[in-house]
Amino acid sequence: MRTMTSRAAESAKAQAGPGASTSPAGGPAGRGGGRKRSMGVQNLAGWLFSTPFLVLFLVFMAFPIIATLVMSFTDFGLRNVTHPLDAEFIGFDNYVKLFGDEKFLKSLFNTAYFVVVGVPLTIGLGLVVAVLLNNGIDRARTFFRVGFYAPVVTTIVAVAVVWRFVLDPSDGLIAGLFSEVGLTAPDFLGSETLAMPSMIAMAVWRNLGTVMVLFIAGLQAIPTEVREAARLDGAGAWQEFKGITVPLLRPTLLYATVITTIGYLNVFEEPFVMTQGGPSDSTLTVSLNMYREGFNFFHMGYASAMAYVLFVVIMGITVLQLRLLKDNTK
Amino acid sequence: MSRTARNATVGIATAVALTFGITACGSSGGDDVAADEKQTITVWAMGAEGEKLTDVAEEYTKANPNITVKVTPVGWDVAHQKLVSAAAAGTLPDVAQMGGSYMGEFAELGVLEPVDTKTFDKKDYFPAGWSQGEVDGQAYGVPWYVDTRVLYYRTDLAEKAGVTEAPSNWKEMQDLATAYQKKAGTKWGLSIQPSGLDTVQNFYSFLYSAGGEIVNDKGEAVIDSPEAVKALEEYGSYFDKGLSNKSVQPGYDVVKDFGNGRVPMFFGGPWHVTLLNEGQPQIKGKWAVANVPADKSSVSMAGGSSLVISKDSEHKAAAKEFIKYLTDTKGQADWYERTKDLPANTAAWASGDLADDTNLQVFKKQMDTAKSSPSLSNWTEITDKVDQAIAKVTQGKASAEDALKTAQSEIEGLVK
Repeated sequence: MRTMTSRAAESAKAQAGPGASTSPAGGPAGRGGGRKRSMGVQNLAGWLFSTPFLVLFLVFMAFPIIATLVMSFTDFGLRNVTHPLDAEFIGFDNYVKLFGDEKFLKSLFNTAYFVVVGVPLTIGLGLVVAVLLNNGIDRARTFFRVGFYAPVVTTIVAVAVVWRFVLDPSDGLIAGLFSEVGLTAPDFLGSETLAMPSMIAMAVWRNLGTVMVLFIAGLQAIPTEVREAARLDGAGAWQEFKGITVPLLRPTLLYATVITTIGYLNVFEEPFVMTQGGPSDSTLTVSLNMYREGFNFFHMGYASAMAYVLFVVIMGITVLQLRLLKDNTK
Repeated sequence: MSRTARNATVGIATAVALTFGITACGSSGGDDVAADEKQTITVWAMGAEGEKLTDVAEEYTKANPNITVKVTPVGWDVAHQKLVSAAAAGTLPDVAQMGGSYMGEFAELGVLEPVDTKTFDKKDYFPAGWSQGEVDGQAYGVPWYVDTRVLYYRTDLAEKAGVTEAPSNWKEMQDLATAYQKKAGTKWGLSIQPSGLDTVQNFYSFLYSAGGEIVNDKGEAVIDSPEAVKALEEYGSYFDKGLSNKSVQPGYDVVKDFGNGRVPMFFGGPWHVTLLNEGQPQIKGKWAVANVPADKSSVSMAGGSSLVISKDSEHKAAAKEFIKYLTDTKGQADWYERTKDLPANTAAWASGDLADDTNLQVFKKQMDTAKSSPSLSNWTEITDKVDQAIAKVTQGKASAEDALKTAQSEIEGLVK
C-alpha cells in the first residue's frame, strides 16, 4: 500500500476535483498534419522509450503472474527448484485441497476479520482526522499532518520495536498505564482473542496517514463557493458535512476504501514481525500462510494456488465495492 | 505494487532463476582447475562466521598465494532463501557454510559434492557433528563447528534461593525454578519458548533426555511415544505453574533478561558465553553452565555448521584444500580463538582453553551425547507440526497426549 501513496494522492486529486483536467496523455489532436510521415519514426521511438519498462514488466510482472498460475496446477516442490520441468500437472488438486485445509480456512477467516474491522476504522478515523486538520486546527496544521503521516513512511521493523514496547505485558506503555490505576494489563500478543485486534490497531495506525492524505486532497478540491453558499443558506457544521463534504468526497471515499481493502486483504507484515501468525494461528493471514507454505515448506504449487484464490477474492470484492459505491453517486 | 503482486513476484523470481538455472547447469562442469594453479574460490558464510572468516581467508591467501579466497558474509535471516535461489540458478559459491537442517534439502536438490572421505575422516569429528552432514549415509558436509544447548543459570540468585548445586534432573530443575521465583524474587523461573517457529529447539533437551525422538532411525514418526508425552507434559508444566512466560515475541533475546535477573535460567548455545561476557559484564562470575538436567539421561540437541562444496564448482581441488585448512586441528583451535565456535574436530580440544576451561568442558561433555536431527528435506515442515503441538500445550488448549497424537498423524503423512 505504501508505495501507492503518491500515485494514490494524485489520482484522488484528479477524481475529486471538479476542475481537474482530464488525463494528461491527451488526444491525437495536437499532432495534426505531419502525422502520417513521422508515424513510423514516432512509433519506433515510442517502442524504444518503452522498452526498459516493457522488459521489466514482462520479466518481473507478466511472466511471474502467468508462471504462478501454471505452478498452481502442479505439485511444484523443493526438488523442482533445480528441475522445474519435472513438476507434475495435477489439475485442480491444489485448489480442492485448499478448501479442506483447516489452516487455510482459518487464515481466510482471520483475513476477513482484519478487513471487516480494519477498513471501516481506517476510513472512518482517516476522514475524521482529515476533516479536523482541514478545518479545525489553524496553527501547527503541518505538524499534525506530518505526525499522522509519519507511520506511513516508517519501516515495519521500527514500527515493530515501538509497538512491542507499547504492548509488552510486563513493562510496556499500556501495562504502565494499567498499573497506574492498579490493574494488570492483558497480554495482547499472547492472547488468542486480543492478538488480532492488536494487529488491527497497528495497521490502522500505520495506514491512517495514507487515507488522511487522500481525504485532505479531496477536501481541498471542494470549491469554497459551495461551502459559502451553504453557510449563507444557514447550514450548520454537521449539515455542511453531511450535505456538502460527504457527497463531494464520494469518489475519494470510494478510492480510499478500495485501496485500503486490497491492502488489508494482503496483510502480511504486521503478523510477520509481531507474532509470526501465533498464538495458535490466531493471526495467521492468507499472505503469511502463503509465504510459509511457499518459502518455509517449499510447497510452491500449493502456495501459488493460494495466491490465486486470494487474487480472485480481491478481484471479487473490488468489483463489488465499485458497483455498490459507484451507483450511489449518481 | 500491491503485496500480492510483490509476493507473487518473489515467488516467481525463483521460477525465473530456475529457467536460467537449467542452462547454467548445462554449460558448467568443465575441466576442474588443479589446486596449484592460480585461481579464486568463492565462499559464503553466515552471520558472525561470515565476518570473521574474511581474516582467516586473508591469512590463507598469504600462505597460499595462488589461491585467493573471496568470502561473502550472508545474513542468517536470508541465508536459506539465498542458497536455494543460487542452487536453482546454478550460481552456488565453490564453498558454502551450511546448517545441519539445510543438508537434507540441498542433497535432494543434487547440488552438493560428496565429501572425499579419504581426506576427511569421520572418526576425527564428534559423531553428532559428522552425522549432520550426512544424508542417507552419504556425507556431503565436513563439520566445521558444533554447538549444543546447555543450561545457563544464575549462581548468585540460586544462592539467594538456597540452592548451591546445579540441577541434575528434571525435578531439581523445576524446584530451582520455583525457588528462584519464590525466594529470589525473579519474574520467571526458566525461559523456554512457548510457541512459534523453532520452539522445538527448546523442547529437544526435554524430548531427547526422556529418550524420545520425532522420527526414529528407521524413518518412522514416533512423536506420540510415552517418552515424548512425558517430555511435553514436563515442558508444559512450566507454563501451567507460571514459571515460564507464555508470551514471547519473535526475536526475543534472553540475554538482557538474564542480566537483569528477570530470567534466571535458560537453555543456550556456546555463543551465549560471549554475549554474556560482552553484553552483561555486571554479572560476570554470577552465572554458570550445567549439562541439560536429565530424565533418563542428559541429552541435548546438536547443531552447528558444515562446509560443503558445490557440485558445479570448477575449483573443487582448491576448495578441498581450504576446507582441510579450516577443519584440521590447528585451524579449528585458531577458529575457536576468533569466534568461540566449538571445534567439531575432537583433537582440537586437547590444548589451551578448550582443555582447561570448566564451562567448555560442560559443552564438550554435552556434545559427546548430543543428538542431531535427521537430515530430511522436509524437516522444517515436520518440526512445524511439533511446534504446533507444543503451542497447544503451553497455551492450555490440549493435553500433551492429544497434541502429540495429532502431530504424529500429520508427521506420518510427511515421512512417506
